[in-house]
Amino acid sequence: MSLEALLPSAIDGLMLGFVYGLAAMGLTLIFGVMKVINLSHGPVIALGMFAVFLLFSSFGINPYVGVLAAAAIGLLFGTVIYFVAVDRVINAPELTTLLATFSVNLMIIGVGTVLFTTSPRSVDIDLGALRGSGVTILGTHAVAVVIAVLAAAALYGFLFRTRVGKQVRAVANNRAAAELMGIDSRRMLALAFGIGTALAMTSGALLSTLFAFTILSGGTYELKSFVIVVLGGLGNPTGALVGGLVIGLLEGVLTVFIPVAWVPVFEYLIFLVMLQLRPAGLLGSRA
Amino acid sequence: MSVAAPSAAALAVEGLQSGYGEVQILWGASLALAPGKLTTVLGSNGAGKTTLLRTVMGLLPAWKGTVRFDDRDVTRLSAHEKADLGMVLVPEGRQLFSTMSVVENLEMGATCRRARADRKRSFDQVFTLFPRLAERRGQLAATLSGGEQQMLAIARGLMAKPTILMFDEPSLGLSPLFTMNLFEIIRRLKREGLTMLLVEQNVQLALAVSDYAYVLSHGKVEIEGEAREVRQMEAVRKAYLGL
Ligand SMILES: Nc1ncnc2c1ncn2[C@@H]1O[C@H](COP(=O)(O)OP(=O)(O)OP(=O)(O)O)[C@@H](O)[C@H]1O
Ligand SMILES: [Mg+2]
Repeated sequence: MSLEALLPSAIDGLMLGFVYGLAAMGLTLIFGVMKVINLSHGPVIALGMFAVFLLFSSFGINPYVGVLAAAAIGLLFGTVIYFVAVDRVINAPELTTLLATFSVNLMIIGVGTVLFTTSPRSVDIDLGALRGSGVTILGTHAVAVVIAVLAAAALYGFLFRTRVGKQVRAVANNRAAAELMGIDSRRMLALAFGIGTALAMTSGALLSTLFAFTILSGGTYELKSFVIVVLGGLGNPTGALVGGLVIGLLEGVLTVFIPVAWVPVFEYLIFLVMLQLRPAGLLGSRA
Repeated sequence: MSVAAPSAAALAVEGLQSGYGEVQILWGASLALAPGKLTTVLGSNGAGKTTLLRTVMGLLPAWKGTVRFDDRDVTRLSAHEKADLGMVLVPEGRQLFSTMSVVENLEMGATCRRARADRKRSFDQVFTLFPRLAERRGQLAATLSGGEQQMLAIARGLMAKPTILMFDEPSLGLSPLFTMNLFEIIRRLKREGLTMLLVEQNVQLALAVSDYAYVLSHGKVEIEGEAREVRQMEAVRKAYLGL
Protein backbone atom coordinates (compact mmCIF):
# COMPACT_ATOMS: atom_id res chain seq x y z
CA MET A 1 0.00 0.00 0.00
CA SER A 2 1.33 3.37 -0.98
CA LEU A 3 1.43 6.48 1.13
CA GLU A 4 0.28 8.50 -1.88
CA ALA A 5 -3.07 6.85 -1.43
CA LEU A 6 -3.27 8.10 2.14
CA LEU A 7 -4.32 11.69 1.57
CA PRO A 8 -7.09 11.04 -0.96
CA SER A 9 -8.41 8.17 1.10
CA ALA A 10 -8.36 10.27 4.27
CA ILE A 11 -10.20 13.11 2.56
CA ASP A 12 -12.76 10.73 1.16
CA GLY A 13 -13.26 9.17 4.57
CA LEU A 14 -13.65 12.53 6.23
CA MET A 15 -16.31 13.54 3.71
CA LEU A 16 -18.14 10.30 4.25
CA GLY A 17 -17.90 11.04 7.96
CA PHE A 18 -20.39 13.90 7.57
CA VAL A 19 -22.96 11.46 6.24
CA TYR A 20 -22.24 8.95 9.03
CA GLY A 21 -22.49 11.78 11.52
CA LEU A 22 -25.90 12.77 10.19
CA ALA A 23 -27.27 9.27 10.76
CA ALA A 24 -25.74 9.16 14.22
CA MET A 25 -27.34 12.50 15.06
CA GLY A 26 -30.72 10.90 14.45
CA LEU A 27 -29.91 8.00 16.77
CA THR A 28 -28.49 10.22 19.49
CA LEU A 29 -31.36 12.73 19.30
CA ILE A 30 -33.90 9.99 19.97
CA PHE A 31 -31.83 8.66 22.83
CA GLY A 32 -31.20 12.10 24.26
CA VAL A 33 -34.85 13.08 24.24
CA MET A 34 -36.52 9.86 25.39
CA LYS A 35 -33.78 7.42 26.48
CA VAL A 36 -34.83 4.97 23.78
CA ILE A 37 -32.17 3.03 21.92
CA ASN A 38 -33.68 2.92 18.48
CA LEU A 39 -32.96 -0.46 16.92
CA SER A 40 -35.01 0.41 13.84
CA HIS A 41 -32.26 2.87 12.92
CA GLY A 42 -30.51 0.66 10.34
CA PRO A 43 -33.59 -0.41 8.35
CA VAL A 44 -34.72 3.23 8.35
CA ILE A 45 -31.39 4.21 6.79
CA ALA A 46 -32.00 1.53 4.14
CA LEU A 47 -35.48 2.95 3.54
CA GLY A 48 -33.85 6.30 2.83
CA MET A 49 -31.75 4.60 0.18
CA PHE A 50 -34.77 2.94 -1.37
CA ALA A 51 -36.83 6.12 -1.29
CA VAL A 52 -34.29 7.82 -3.55
CA PHE A 53 -33.88 4.71 -5.69
CA LEU A 54 -37.59 4.13 -6.26
CA LEU A 55 -38.40 7.76 -6.95
CA PHE A 56 -35.50 7.90 -9.37
CA SER A 57 -35.96 4.61 -11.19
CA SER A 58 -39.77 4.64 -11.33
CA PHE A 59 -40.54 8.31 -11.80
CA GLY A 60 -37.24 9.75 -12.91
CA ILE A 61 -37.20 12.11 -9.97
CA ASN A 62 -33.85 13.80 -9.38
CA PRO A 63 -32.00 11.97 -6.57
CA TYR A 64 -31.52 15.19 -4.61
CA VAL A 65 -35.22 15.89 -4.74
CA GLY A 66 -35.45 12.29 -3.58
CA VAL A 67 -33.24 13.16 -0.59
CA LEU A 68 -35.70 15.88 0.41
CA ALA A 69 -38.59 13.48 -0.05
CA ALA A 70 -36.79 10.90 2.09
CA ALA A 71 -36.46 13.46 4.88
CA ALA A 72 -40.16 14.28 4.73
CA ILE A 73 -41.16 10.61 4.61
CA GLY A 74 -38.82 9.96 7.54
CA LEU A 75 -40.48 12.64 9.64
CA LEU A 76 -43.89 11.13 9.00
CA PHE A 77 -42.78 7.52 9.30
CA GLY A 78 -40.87 8.17 12.54
CA THR A 79 -43.94 9.74 14.10
CA VAL A 80 -45.95 6.67 13.10
CA ILE A 81 -43.30 4.34 14.57
CA TYR A 82 -43.46 6.33 17.79
CA PHE A 83 -47.22 6.05 18.19
CA VAL A 84 -47.43 2.43 17.04
CA ALA A 85 -44.45 0.90 18.81
CA VAL A 86 -42.86 3.23 21.33
CA ASP A 87 -45.56 5.33 22.96
CA ARG A 88 -47.21 2.47 24.80
CA VAL A 89 -43.92 1.38 26.38
CA ILE A 90 -42.28 4.78 26.80
CA ASN A 91 -42.34 4.53 30.60
CA ALA A 92 -41.25 0.90 30.67
CA PRO A 93 -37.65 -0.14 31.39
CA GLU A 94 -35.13 0.42 28.58
CA LEU A 95 -35.08 -3.25 27.53
CA THR A 96 -38.77 -3.00 26.61
CA THR A 97 -38.31 -0.01 24.31
CA LEU A 98 -35.27 -1.70 22.85
CA LEU A 99 -37.35 -4.74 21.95
CA ALA A 100 -40.19 -2.59 20.64
CA THR A 101 -37.92 -0.82 18.17
CA PHE A 102 -36.23 -4.11 17.34
CA SER A 103 -39.60 -5.49 16.27
CA VAL A 104 -39.97 -2.51 13.94
CA ASN A 105 -36.54 -3.36 12.59
CA LEU A 106 -37.60 -6.94 11.85
CA MET A 107 -40.82 -5.81 10.19
CA ILE A 108 -39.11 -3.36 7.88
CA ILE A 109 -36.45 -5.90 6.94
CA GLY A 110 -39.08 -8.61 6.43
CA VAL A 111 -41.37 -6.56 4.25
CA GLY A 112 -38.43 -4.88 2.52
CA THR A 113 -36.86 -8.20 1.59
CA VAL A 114 -40.11 -9.41 0.06
CA LEU A 115 -40.64 -6.20 -1.91
CA PHE A 116 -37.11 -5.36 -2.94
CA THR A 117 -35.23 -8.69 -2.61
CA THR A 118 -31.68 -8.45 -1.38
CA SER A 119 -30.03 -7.90 -4.73
CA PRO A 120 -27.89 -4.77 -4.89
CA ARG A 121 -29.28 -1.55 -6.32
CA SER A 122 -27.65 1.69 -7.20
CA VAL A 123 -28.62 5.16 -8.20
CA ASP A 124 -26.78 6.09 -11.34
CA ILE A 125 -25.66 9.64 -10.89
CA ASP A 126 -22.53 11.40 -12.02
CA LEU A 127 -21.72 14.97 -11.08
CA GLY A 128 -18.17 14.86 -12.34
CA ALA A 129 -15.17 15.43 -10.12
CA LEU A 130 -12.78 18.03 -8.83
CA ARG A 131 -9.19 17.06 -9.48
CA GLY A 132 -6.23 18.47 -7.62
CA SER A 133 -2.70 17.19 -7.27
CA GLY A 134 -3.27 13.52 -6.62
CA VAL A 135 -6.64 14.14 -4.99
CA THR A 136 -9.97 13.58 -6.67
CA ILE A 137 -13.20 14.70 -5.08
CA LEU A 138 -16.32 13.26 -6.63
CA GLY A 139 -19.16 15.72 -7.13
CA THR A 140 -21.64 13.40 -5.44
CA HIS A 141 -19.45 13.26 -2.35
CA ALA A 142 -19.11 17.02 -2.18
CA VAL A 143 -22.86 17.53 -2.52
CA ALA A 144 -23.49 14.90 0.17
CA VAL A 145 -21.26 16.83 2.56
CA VAL A 146 -23.05 20.09 1.84
CA ILE A 147 -26.47 18.54 2.38
CA ALA A 148 -25.36 16.80 5.57
CA VAL A 149 -24.01 20.08 6.94
CA LEU A 150 -27.19 21.92 6.01
CA ALA A 151 -29.31 19.24 7.68
CA ALA A 152 -27.22 19.41 10.86
CA ALA A 153 -27.49 23.21 10.87
CA ALA A 154 -31.24 22.98 10.36
CA LEU A 155 -31.48 20.65 13.36
CA TYR A 156 -29.61 23.14 15.51
CA GLY A 157 -31.65 26.05 14.24
CA PHE A 158 -34.78 24.13 15.10
CA LEU A 159 -33.71 23.01 18.57
CA PHE A 160 -32.25 26.33 19.72
CA ARG A 161 -34.13 29.00 17.81
CA THR A 162 -37.72 27.86 17.46
CA ARG A 163 -40.42 27.64 20.08
CA VAL A 164 -41.25 24.01 19.32
CA GLY A 165 -37.58 23.10 19.23
CA LYS A 166 -37.11 24.54 22.69
CA GLN A 167 -40.11 22.57 23.86
CA VAL A 168 -38.46 19.39 22.58
CA ARG A 169 -35.35 20.30 24.59
CA ALA A 170 -37.46 21.03 27.64
CA VAL A 171 -39.11 17.60 27.40
CA ALA A 172 -35.70 15.99 26.95
CA ASN A 173 -34.42 17.81 30.01
CA ASN A 174 -37.34 17.26 32.39
CA ARG A 175 -40.47 15.67 31.08
CA ALA A 176 -42.62 16.18 34.20
CA ALA A 177 -41.66 19.85 34.47
CA ALA A 178 -42.43 20.34 30.79
CA GLU A 179 -45.90 18.88 31.34
CA LEU A 180 -46.40 21.24 34.29
CA MET A 181 -45.58 24.16 31.99
CA GLY A 182 -48.30 23.10 29.56
CA ILE A 183 -46.09 21.28 27.05
CA ASP A 184 -47.69 18.22 25.49
CA SER A 185 -44.75 15.90 26.11
CA ARG A 186 -46.14 13.01 24.08
CA ARG A 187 -46.36 15.19 21.00
CA MET A 188 -42.79 16.35 21.50
CA LEU A 189 -41.54 12.78 21.90
CA ALA A 190 -43.31 11.77 18.70
CA LEU A 191 -41.83 14.76 16.92
CA ALA A 192 -38.34 13.96 18.19
CA PHE A 193 -38.70 10.37 17.00
CA GLY A 194 -39.85 11.72 13.64
CA ILE A 195 -36.87 14.05 13.36
CA GLY A 196 -34.43 11.32 14.40
CA THR A 197 -35.91 9.04 11.77
CA ALA A 198 -35.80 11.83 9.19
CA LEU A 199 -32.09 12.34 9.87
CA ALA A 200 -31.43 8.61 9.48
CA MET A 201 -33.40 8.47 6.23
CA THR A 202 -31.65 11.56 4.90
CA SER A 203 -28.32 9.96 5.64
CA GLY A 204 -29.42 6.79 3.86
CA ALA A 205 -30.68 8.83 0.95
CA LEU A 206 -27.29 10.49 0.60
CA LEU A 207 -25.49 7.16 0.87
CA SER A 208 -27.57 5.84 -2.03
CA THR A 209 -25.98 8.48 -4.25
CA LEU A 210 -22.54 7.20 -3.30
CA PHE A 211 -22.64 3.41 -3.11
CA ALA A 212 -24.62 0.39 -4.21
CA PHE A 213 -26.92 -1.00 -1.51
CA THR A 214 -29.50 -3.62 -0.55
CA ILE A 215 -32.33 -3.54 1.98
CA LEU A 216 -29.87 -5.02 4.47
CA SER A 217 -27.25 -2.28 4.02
CA GLY A 218 -28.62 -0.24 6.88
CA GLY A 219 -27.13 -2.71 9.35
CA THR A 220 -23.56 -1.64 8.65
CA TYR A 221 -24.43 2.01 9.12
CA GLU A 222 -26.49 1.31 12.21
CA LEU A 223 -23.46 -0.27 13.84
CA LYS A 224 -21.30 2.66 12.77
CA SER A 225 -23.90 5.00 14.27
CA PHE A 226 -23.66 3.22 17.60
CA VAL A 227 -19.88 3.54 17.65
CA ILE A 228 -20.17 7.20 16.70
CA VAL A 229 -22.83 7.95 19.27
CA VAL A 230 -20.72 6.44 22.03
CA LEU A 231 -17.70 8.33 20.73
CA GLY A 232 -19.60 11.60 20.75
CA GLY A 233 -21.42 11.03 24.03
CA LEU A 234 -24.92 9.55 24.24
CA GLY A 235 -27.57 12.13 23.48
CA ASN A 236 -25.16 14.76 22.17
CA PRO A 237 -25.85 15.75 18.53
CA THR A 238 -22.67 17.85 18.18
CA GLY A 239 -20.71 14.93 19.53
CA ALA A 240 -22.35 12.69 16.95
CA LEU A 241 -21.24 14.91 14.11
CA VAL A 242 -17.69 15.07 15.46
CA GLY A 243 -17.73 11.33 16.10
CA GLY A 244 -18.87 10.78 12.53
CA LEU A 245 -15.90 12.72 11.22
CA VAL A 246 -13.53 10.76 13.45
CA ILE A 247 -14.89 7.42 12.29
CA GLY A 248 -14.97 8.50 8.65
CA LEU A 249 -11.39 9.71 8.79
CA LEU A 250 -10.27 6.60 10.60
CA GLU A 251 -11.92 4.43 7.99
CA GLY A 252 -10.26 6.38 5.21
CA VAL A 253 -6.84 6.02 6.78
CA LEU A 254 -7.21 2.38 7.84
CA THR A 255 -8.35 1.12 4.45
CA VAL A 256 -5.05 2.24 2.98
CA PHE A 257 -3.24 -0.22 5.20
CA ILE A 258 -5.63 -3.06 5.89
CA PRO A 259 -8.47 -4.79 4.05
CA VAL A 260 -11.86 -3.10 4.38
CA ALA A 261 -13.30 -6.15 6.09
CA TRP A 262 -11.07 -5.46 9.07
CA VAL A 263 -12.32 -1.95 9.63
CA PRO A 264 -15.30 -2.92 11.82
CA VAL A 265 -12.94 -4.74 14.17
CA PHE A 266 -11.19 -1.46 14.86
CA GLU A 267 -14.46 0.37 15.18
CA TYR A 268 -15.71 -2.01 17.85
CA LEU A 269 -12.40 -1.81 19.59
CA ILE A 270 -12.94 1.97 19.82
CA PHE A 271 -16.48 1.30 21.00
CA LEU A 272 -15.27 -0.90 23.85
CA VAL A 273 -12.40 1.36 24.82
CA MET A 274 -14.67 4.41 24.88
CA LEU A 275 -17.25 2.65 27.04
CA GLN A 276 -14.51 1.68 29.46
CA LEU A 277 -12.55 4.90 29.60
CA ARG A 278 -14.82 7.75 28.56
CA PRO A 279 -18.47 6.70 28.68
CA ALA A 280 -19.49 10.36 28.41
CA GLY A 281 -17.84 10.59 25.00
CA LEU A 282 -14.93 12.55 23.57
CA LEU A 283 -16.63 15.86 24.31
CA GLY A 284 -18.05 14.71 27.65
CA SER A 285 -16.78 16.50 30.72
CA ARG A 286 -16.39 13.46 32.95
CA ALA A 287 -14.33 10.42 32.14
CA MET B 1 -67.53 10.84 52.70
CA SER B 2 -66.98 14.45 53.51
CA VAL B 3 -69.38 17.22 52.72
CA ALA B 4 -69.45 18.28 49.08
CA ALA B 5 -67.20 21.24 48.53
CA PRO B 6 -69.03 24.50 48.01
CA SER B 7 -69.35 25.12 44.29
CA ALA B 8 -67.70 28.49 44.84
CA ALA B 9 -64.33 26.75 45.27
CA ALA B 10 -61.67 27.51 42.67
CA LEU B 11 -60.38 24.00 43.13
CA ALA B 12 -62.16 21.15 44.87
CA VAL B 13 -60.54 17.83 45.62
CA GLU B 14 -62.86 15.03 46.73
CA GLY B 15 -61.84 11.68 48.20
CA LEU B 16 -58.61 11.51 46.24
CA GLN B 17 -56.73 8.21 46.29
CA SER B 18 -53.46 7.45 44.58
CA GLY B 19 -49.98 6.07 45.10
CA TYR B 20 -46.99 4.53 43.45
CA GLY B 21 -47.32 1.09 41.87
CA GLU B 22 -48.99 -1.09 44.47
CA VAL B 23 -48.36 1.29 47.34
CA GLN B 24 -51.28 3.50 48.23
CA ILE B 25 -50.32 6.89 49.68
CA LEU B 26 -53.47 9.02 49.47
CA TRP B 27 -56.47 7.51 51.24
CA GLY B 28 -59.29 9.80 50.27
CA ALA B 29 -57.98 13.33 50.68
CA SER B 30 -60.50 16.15 50.30
CA LEU B 31 -59.90 19.87 50.24
CA ALA B 32 -61.14 23.04 48.63
CA LEU B 33 -59.42 26.26 47.62
CA ALA B 34 -61.50 29.40 48.04
CA PRO B 35 -60.98 31.88 45.21
CA GLY B 36 -58.52 34.63 45.97
CA LYS B 37 -57.45 32.94 49.21
CA LEU B 38 -54.22 31.36 50.30
CA THR B 39 -54.65 27.81 51.55
CA THR B 40 -51.90 25.82 53.18
CA VAL B 41 -51.48 22.07 53.47
CA LEU B 42 -49.35 20.95 56.40
CA GLY B 43 -48.18 17.51 57.37
CA SER B 44 -45.06 15.72 58.50
CA ASN B 45 -42.50 14.26 56.11
CA GLY B 46 -44.03 11.49 54.09
CA ALA B 47 -47.61 12.49 54.88
CA GLY B 48 -48.36 12.61 51.17
CA LYS B 49 -48.35 16.35 50.41
CA THR B 50 -46.25 16.07 47.27
CA THR B 51 -48.20 13.02 46.18
CA LEU B 52 -51.40 15.04 46.63
CA LEU B 53 -50.12 17.88 44.44
CA ARG B 54 -48.80 15.50 41.78
CA THR B 55 -52.14 13.72 41.66
CA VAL B 56 -54.07 16.98 41.54
CA MET B 57 -51.94 18.06 38.57
CA GLY B 58 -52.27 14.71 36.81
CA LEU B 59 -48.61 13.75 36.97
CA LEU B 60 -49.85 10.74 38.90
CA PRO B 61 -53.15 9.10 37.94
CA ALA B 62 -55.96 9.37 40.48
CA TRP B 63 -57.14 5.91 41.56
CA LYS B 64 -60.37 7.24 42.98
CA GLY B 65 -61.91 10.59 43.72
CA THR B 66 -62.30 13.77 41.73
CA VAL B 67 -60.54 17.04 41.08
CA ARG B 68 -62.79 19.91 40.06
CA PHE B 69 -61.40 23.14 38.69
CA ASP B 70 -63.78 26.01 38.12
CA ASP B 71 -66.66 23.58 38.58
CA ARG B 72 -65.39 21.35 35.84
CA ASP B 73 -64.25 17.77 36.35
CA VAL B 74 -60.56 17.73 35.40
CA THR B 75 -59.57 14.52 37.21
CA ARG B 76 -58.53 12.69 34.05
CA LEU B 77 -56.86 15.54 32.22
CA SER B 78 -53.13 15.32 31.74
CA ALA B 79 -50.84 17.81 33.43
CA HIS B 80 -50.27 19.92 30.34
CA GLU B 81 -54.00 20.26 29.78
CA LYS B 82 -54.45 21.40 33.36
CA ALA B 83 -51.63 23.90 32.97
CA ASP B 84 -53.41 25.17 29.87
CA LEU B 85 -56.48 25.82 32.00
CA GLY B 86 -54.48 27.83 34.51
CA MET B 87 -53.55 25.26 37.17
CA VAL B 88 -49.87 25.79 37.80
CA LEU B 89 -47.58 23.92 40.20
CA VAL B 90 -44.15 25.13 41.27
CA PRO B 91 -42.88 21.64 42.07
CA GLU B 92 -40.81 20.37 44.95
CA GLY B 93 -37.10 20.48 44.17
CA ARG B 94 -37.52 23.22 41.55
CA GLN B 95 -37.41 20.90 38.54
CA LEU B 96 -35.87 23.52 36.31
CA PHE B 97 -34.77 22.88 32.76
CA SER B 98 -31.18 22.69 33.91
CA THR B 99 -29.57 22.66 30.45
CA MET B 100 -31.53 25.70 29.33
CA SER B 101 -30.93 29.37 30.04
CA VAL B 102 -32.88 31.50 32.50
CA VAL B 103 -34.76 33.18 29.67
CA GLU B 104 -35.54 29.86 28.01
CA ASN B 105 -36.88 28.50 31.30
CA LEU B 106 -39.17 31.50 31.54
CA GLU B 107 -40.23 31.11 27.90
CA MET B 108 -41.20 27.52 28.65
CA GLY B 109 -43.30 28.83 31.51
CA ALA B 110 -45.26 30.90 29.01
CA THR B 111 -46.06 27.96 26.76
CA CYS B 112 -49.84 27.96 26.74
CA ARG B 113 -51.64 30.28 24.36
CA ARG B 114 -53.14 32.34 27.17
CA ALA B 115 -49.71 33.06 28.61
CA ARG B 116 -47.96 33.49 25.28
CA ALA B 117 -50.08 36.45 24.30
CA ASP B 118 -48.99 38.26 27.44
CA ARG B 119 -45.39 37.12 27.40
CA LYS B 120 -43.71 40.49 27.15
CA ARG B 121 -45.61 41.87 30.12
CA SER B 122 -44.94 38.73 32.12
CA PHE B 123 -41.22 39.04 31.46
CA ASP B 124 -41.25 42.63 32.73
CA GLN B 125 -43.25 41.56 35.74
CA VAL B 126 -40.98 38.70 36.83
CA PHE B 127 -37.83 40.70 36.15
CA THR B 128 -39.19 43.46 38.36
CA LEU B 129 -40.05 40.91 41.02
CA PHE B 130 -36.70 39.13 40.70
CA PRO B 131 -34.08 41.61 39.41
CA ARG B 132 -31.43 38.96 40.00
CA LEU B 133 -32.92 36.82 37.25
CA ALA B 134 -32.68 39.71 34.80
CA GLU B 135 -28.97 39.94 35.53
CA ARG B 136 -28.58 36.23 34.95
CA ARG B 137 -30.85 35.91 31.95
CA GLY B 138 -28.37 34.16 29.66
CA GLN B 139 -26.99 31.80 32.27
CA LEU B 140 -27.83 28.09 32.32
CA ALA B 141 -30.29 27.23 35.08
CA ALA B 142 -27.97 24.56 36.46
CA THR B 143 -25.32 27.19 37.24
CA LEU B 144 -27.59 29.36 39.40
CA SER B 145 -27.31 29.35 43.18
CA GLY B 146 -29.96 27.48 45.14
CA GLY B 147 -31.85 30.65 45.97
CA GLU B 148 -31.70 31.90 42.40
CA GLN B 149 -32.97 28.55 41.19
CA GLN B 150 -35.93 28.78 43.52
CA MET B 151 -36.65 32.30 42.23
CA LEU B 152 -36.53 30.98 38.70
CA ALA B 153 -38.91 28.14 39.54
CA ILE B 154 -41.40 30.62 40.97
CA ALA B 155 -40.91 33.10 38.13
CA ARG B 156 -41.43 30.31 35.60
CA GLY B 157 -44.70 29.46 37.31
CA LEU B 158 -45.80 33.08 37.18
CA MET B 159 -45.01 33.26 33.45
CA ALA B 160 -47.83 30.73 32.96
CA LYS B 161 -50.41 33.29 34.11
CA PRO B 162 -51.89 30.94 36.69
CA THR B 163 -55.46 31.07 37.88
CA ILE B 164 -54.38 28.80 40.70
CA LEU B 165 -50.78 28.73 41.83
CA MET B 166 -49.55 25.83 43.93
CA PHE B 167 -46.19 25.77 45.71
CA ASP B 168 -44.50 22.63 47.01
CA GLU B 169 -41.90 23.54 49.63
CA PRO B 170 -40.76 26.81 48.01
CA SER B 171 -38.47 27.76 50.89
CA LEU B 172 -36.54 24.50 50.89
CA GLY B 173 -32.84 25.27 50.96
CA LEU B 174 -33.28 29.03 51.16
CA SER B 175 -31.51 31.28 53.62
CA PRO B 176 -33.69 32.99 56.24
CA LEU B 177 -33.39 36.28 54.37
CA PHE B 178 -34.43 34.66 51.12
CA THR B 179 -37.29 32.94 52.85
CA MET B 180 -38.57 36.29 54.08
CA ASN B 181 -38.34 37.65 50.51
CA LEU B 182 -40.24 34.67 49.25
CA PHE B 183 -43.06 35.16 51.73
CA GLU B 184 -43.17 38.84 50.86
CA ILE B 185 -43.78 37.84 47.25
CA ILE B 186 -46.44 35.36 48.27
CA ARG B 187 -48.15 38.11 50.29
CA ARG B 188 -48.00 40.40 47.30
CA LEU B 189 -49.55 37.77 45.01
CA LYS B 190 -52.25 37.28 47.61
CA ARG B 191 -53.02 41.00 47.66
CA GLU B 192 -53.37 40.82 43.89
CA GLY B 193 -56.10 38.24 44.45
CA LEU B 194 -54.35 35.10 43.17
CA THR B 195 -55.73 31.81 44.46
CA MET B 196 -52.86 29.84 45.97
CA LEU B 197 -52.05 26.56 47.64
CA LEU B 198 -48.93 26.42 49.77
CA VAL B 199 -47.15 23.34 51.05
CA GLU B 200 -44.40 24.51 53.37
CA GLN B 201 -41.86 23.18 55.85
CA ASN B 202 -41.94 26.42 57.74
CA VAL B 203 -45.30 25.85 59.40
CA GLN B 204 -45.16 29.00 61.50
CA LEU B 205 -44.72 31.23 58.48
CA ALA B 206 -47.18 29.28 56.38
CA LEU B 207 -49.94 29.61 58.97
CA ALA B 208 -49.16 33.30 59.39
CA VAL B 209 -49.77 34.15 55.74
CA SER B 210 -52.57 31.67 55.02
CA ASP B 211 -56.33 32.08 55.26
CA TYR B 212 -57.19 28.42 55.58
CA ALA B 213 -55.22 25.34 56.57
CA TYR B 214 -55.40 21.59 56.16
CA VAL B 215 -53.29 19.09 58.05
CA LEU B 216 -52.58 15.95 56.07
CA SER B 217 -51.69 12.76 57.89
CA HIS B 218 -51.24 9.31 56.36
CA GLY B 219 -52.81 10.46 53.12
CA LYS B 220 -55.95 11.94 54.65
CA VAL B 221 -57.00 15.32 55.93
CA GLU B 222 -56.85 15.11 59.71
CA ILE B 223 -57.50 18.72 60.68
CA GLU B 224 -58.84 21.73 58.83
CA GLY B 225 -59.92 25.22 59.67
CA GLU B 226 -59.19 28.93 59.47
CA ALA B 227 -55.44 29.32 59.64
CA ARG B 228 -55.50 31.40 62.80
CA GLU B 229 -57.65 28.78 64.55
CA VAL B 230 -55.51 25.89 63.41
CA ARG B 231 -52.55 27.76 64.78
CA GLN B 232 -54.04 27.67 68.24
CA MET B 233 -54.83 23.96 68.19
CA GLU B 234 -52.97 21.96 70.78
CA ALA B 235 -52.21 19.06 68.40
CA VAL B 236 -50.82 21.37 65.75
CA ARG B 237 -48.75 23.37 68.21
CA LYS B 238 -47.22 20.18 69.58
CA ALA B 239 -46.60 18.34 66.33
CA TYR B 240 -45.70 21.10 63.91
CA LEU B 241 -44.80 24.22 65.84
CA GLY B 242 -42.66 22.56 68.46
CA LEU B 243 -44.50 24.35 71.28
N1 LIG C 1 -41.73 7.85 43.41
C1 LIG C 1 -42.12 7.20 44.52
N2 LIG C 1 -42.21 5.87 44.52
C2 LIG C 1 -42.60 5.20 45.65
N3 LIG C 1 -42.93 5.80 46.78
C3 LIG C 1 -42.87 7.12 46.85
C4 LIG C 1 -42.45 7.90 45.72
N4 LIG C 1 -42.50 9.20 46.06
C5 LIG C 1 -42.91 9.23 47.35
N5 LIG C 1 -43.15 8.00 47.82
C6 LIG C 1 -43.61 7.66 49.17
O1 LIG C 1 -44.87 8.25 49.35
C7 LIG C 1 -45.00 8.73 50.68
C8 LIG C 1 -45.46 10.16 50.63
O2 LIG C 1 -44.48 10.94 50.01
P1 LIG C 1 -44.66 12.48 49.67
O3 LIG C 1 -43.47 12.89 48.89
O4 LIG C 1 -45.99 12.68 49.08
O5 LIG C 1 -44.62 13.13 51.11
P2 LIG C 1 -44.55 14.64 51.55
O6 LIG C 1 -45.66 14.88 52.47
O7 LIG C 1 -44.44 15.51 50.36
O8 LIG C 1 -43.18 14.65 52.35
P3 LIG C 1 -42.04 15.77 52.46
O9 LIG C 1 -42.51 16.73 53.50
O10 LIG C 1 -40.84 15.02 52.92
O11 LIG C 1 -41.87 16.40 51.12
C9 LIG C 1 -43.64 8.55 51.32
O12 LIG C 1 -43.73 7.43 52.18
C10 LIG C 1 -42.71 8.26 50.19
O13 LIG C 1 -41.71 7.37 50.59
MG1 LIG D 1 -43.03 16.74 49.59
